[in-house]
Amino acid sequence: MTKRLLVVDDDADMRLTLKLALELAGYAVDVAANGREALHAQRRQAADVLITDIFMPDADGFEAIDAFRKEFPRTKIVVVSGGAQFSKRDYLPDAELIGVDATLQKPFDVDTLLGLIKTL
Amino acid sequence: MRLRSHLLLLSAATAAPILALAVVVAFLVVRQERDTLRDAAKDRVVAIMSGVDAELRGSIATLRALAASAQLENGDLAAFHAEAMRILKAHPDWLDYSLNSPEGARVASSLPPAVSAQTGLADRESFDLAVTTGEPVVGSIEQWPNGERWAVPLRMPIMENGLPKYILSAMLKPDAFSDLLRAQRLPEGWVAGIADRHGRFIGRIPPLPPGQYASDSWREKIKASPQGWFRGRTLEGHDTYTPYVTSSLSGWALGIAMPVSAVEAAAWRSLWLVLIMVLLASGIAVGLALLLGWRIAKPIAALAQAAEAAGRGERVGFPVRTPITELDSLAAALAQAAQAMHDKHQLAEREKAALQASDRAKDEFLAMLSHELRNPLAALTAAAHVLKLAPAGDAAAIKARGVVDRQTKHMARLVGDLLDISRVAMGKVALERERFNLAEAAGNVLHVWRASGRLERHQLGVEIKPVWVDADRARIEQILSNLLDNAVKFTPAGGKITVSVGQDGDWAVLQVSDQGEGLAPGSAERMFDLFVQGERGLDRAAGGLGVGLALVKRLSEMHGGRVSAESAGPGRGATFRVTLPAVQPITTRSGEVAAAPVLAPRRVLIVEDNDDARQMLHDVLAFGGHEVREARDGASGLALAAQSPPDVALIDIGLPDVDGYEVARRLRAAPGGRRMGLIAITGYGQAEDQRLAYEAGFDAHLTKPVAPERLKQVMAGLQ
Repeated sequence: MTKRLLVVDDDADMRLTLKLALELAGYAVDVAANGREALHAQRRQAADVLITDIFMPDADGFEAIDAFRKEFPRTKIVVVSGGAQFSKRDYLPDAELIGVDATLQKPFDVDTLLGLIKTL
Repeated sequence: MRLRSHLLLLSAATAAPILALAVVVAFLVVRQERDTLRDAAKDRVVAIMSGVDAELRGSIATLRALAASAQLENGDLAAFHAEAMRILKAHPDWLDYSLNSPEGARVASSLPPAVSAQTGLADRESFDLAVTTGEPVVGSIEQWPNGERWAVPLRMPIMENGLPKYILSAMLKPDAFSDLLRAQRLPEGWVAGIADRHGRFIGRIPPLPPGQYASDSWREKIKASPQGWFRGRTLEGHDTYTPYVTSSLSGWALGIAMPVSAVEAAAWRSLWLVLIMVLLASGIAVGLALLLGWRIAKPIAALAQAAEAAGRGERVGFPVRTPITELDSLAAALAQAAQAMHDKHQLAEREKAALQASDRAKDEFLAMLSHELRNPLAALTAAAHVLKLAPAGDAAAIKARGVVDRQTKHMARLVGDLLDISRVAMGKVALERERFNLAEAAGNVLHVWRASGRLERHQLGVEIKPVWVDADRARIEQILSNLLDNAVKFTPAGGKITVSVGQDGDWAVLQVSDQGEGLAPGSAERMFDLFVQGERGLDRAAGGLGVGLALVKRLSEMHGGRVSAESAGPGRGATFRVTLPAVQPITTRSGEVAAAPVLAPRRVLIVEDNDDARQMLHDVLAFGGHEVREARDGASGLALAAQSPPDVALIDIGLPDVDGYEVARRLRAAPGGRRMGLIAITGYGQAEDQRLAYEAGFDAHLTKPVAPERLKQVMAGLQ
């Protein structure tokens, strides 16, 4: 059965390109612009993997992750972010620290993401 | 050593000579006291002695009168005896009389014959002296008669032919002299005495048995000097001071022995008085020194405490009112120093905080920059992936191309911003100044913004009055754009953004107010610092590099202007204001302010593939009352022109199908094309582009973005 993915990003172009790229790889892809929309989408049709940005309006990525972990504990979570590693505002802590399955820094090769999704 | 101790020493040092003087004075007083007493005693001794002498002289006078009696001269001894007995009776202080021959034989006397026979010549010495000198002599005390009583003989020689014939003696009772001493009423413990030539007492108070010798010490003194003053012991053994005098008449000595204790009691009294006064004065001096010391030391201690506190960096007040002028100056100086130190400390703290803030801002900027650049790169990478896999005509590929187009433009804008700020920061921007109406420039910017739809989520308020500035038009428009950008980012949908332009004295004022998040108190000035962003949590919707307002500030300052921000507080909106030096408007020959030319309504065709640009041109012309038609590409433009030739055609050069030059050539070639006004609109303003445009048949050439005023001017020129 085809894995269902949910892409969450406040940038429309990012959502669009990821959806296109992942659909080309054969996945069913839903998109949401923020954490709240993502929760609604997940409740409508549960995705196997959540691919989310961390800073977004309304509910930020961390809140969305928390909500998902409570409500959908079986959903795998991949966090992607453009946060810089060298600054005090480190937006992309280790996956273990925020309790997700993987983290990926933007920009990333789509193949890397696809490989990651396969291993989950 | 403590200040109080110093003061105590100081007062002691001052008091020491005074104390020494007081002691010397005390001794002098004591000595003076003793001398006074001594002199008084001496005077008294002399006075008593003169009383004794007077007594003796009286008796001598009586004796002389008796000696001169006629009965004795006549040899009538019986008559003489009767005379002598009568006188003896009249003088109770006379005990007896005796008349002797110079050899000593008694011729007559008051003694009964039996007694006379047994009684010898008392005091032979004075008798012999009277015989030898022929002068009256006062004798010494002797037992008389027969050792029964004591008497003092008074000898009077009776001369005949220069030789003594008889010696007449009066035996005086010593009691008379004791009475004389008693009459002095001497104080208790004092001793007074009269001693004869041999040092035997004639009279004494208190009395002693008759014939007693005076003390050895006095007798030696009398022998050594006829009068004087000495310290010695009385016969009773009392320690005394004794002034004495010797009579030249009688050879007797008279002394008054005063107990040493009595003499010295007065001296001691004086000494004690002086000592008590000295102690009292010293006590007062010490007390005053302590009081003064306290008054001086207390403010000094307070100052020291305050200075210590100031040294620890505490903010303290210095007691500038002390009882001591110098301390007041010291306190003032310390207060000044503490203030200076405090100020320096504050300044250092502020500088440190500013440095930390700037550091933080840089860190945040780098994080933001990283984020802002990585996001579009991520979208581009994914789009590249899609383009690699999807067939060229596929919907996914077309969408991906759109993404590439948008995201590269977005990145170009970000990079442009960055370059701008670095160029401005390094002062590499040259201003191309011209005089223009700030109101008009603001209108242009607002038009572009409205046309682009970027203001459609907000209400826009416009309060624009003409004011002229001498500035770089593109930079001023950039300033307003950045302010609008800021207002839009921080104002929720439906909020009102107000743009106002006006004049305030010598200044042109450009102001953008919003109903956004407002500013935290004290952060207004910081808003214009490089890399500082409003608090936005993790929300990227507001996006951007945080350089917009910094650019506004730098550009305004380059124009000689200023920026300021104010806010009623968080959540209550903010107002950003730019003031620039106002200048005189450029006037026409008639002296009137140049106004936009009034155009007759025309039929205008716009051929432009960019929706925003086309919409803007449409708005400008439609508001001007023109009849406007639009085409997205060359082919449809030519079709519209064929249907009904326009008066003026605005043609973009970079069209998707045929280029603008080709469209112009075809329009010119078409019927009625020669009267048509053709205006080229390009993104390039090079001379070569203009040349190509004119060669293709254009009447005018406008560079994007097209300013409405410029468009109106060009349109007017084509009339």
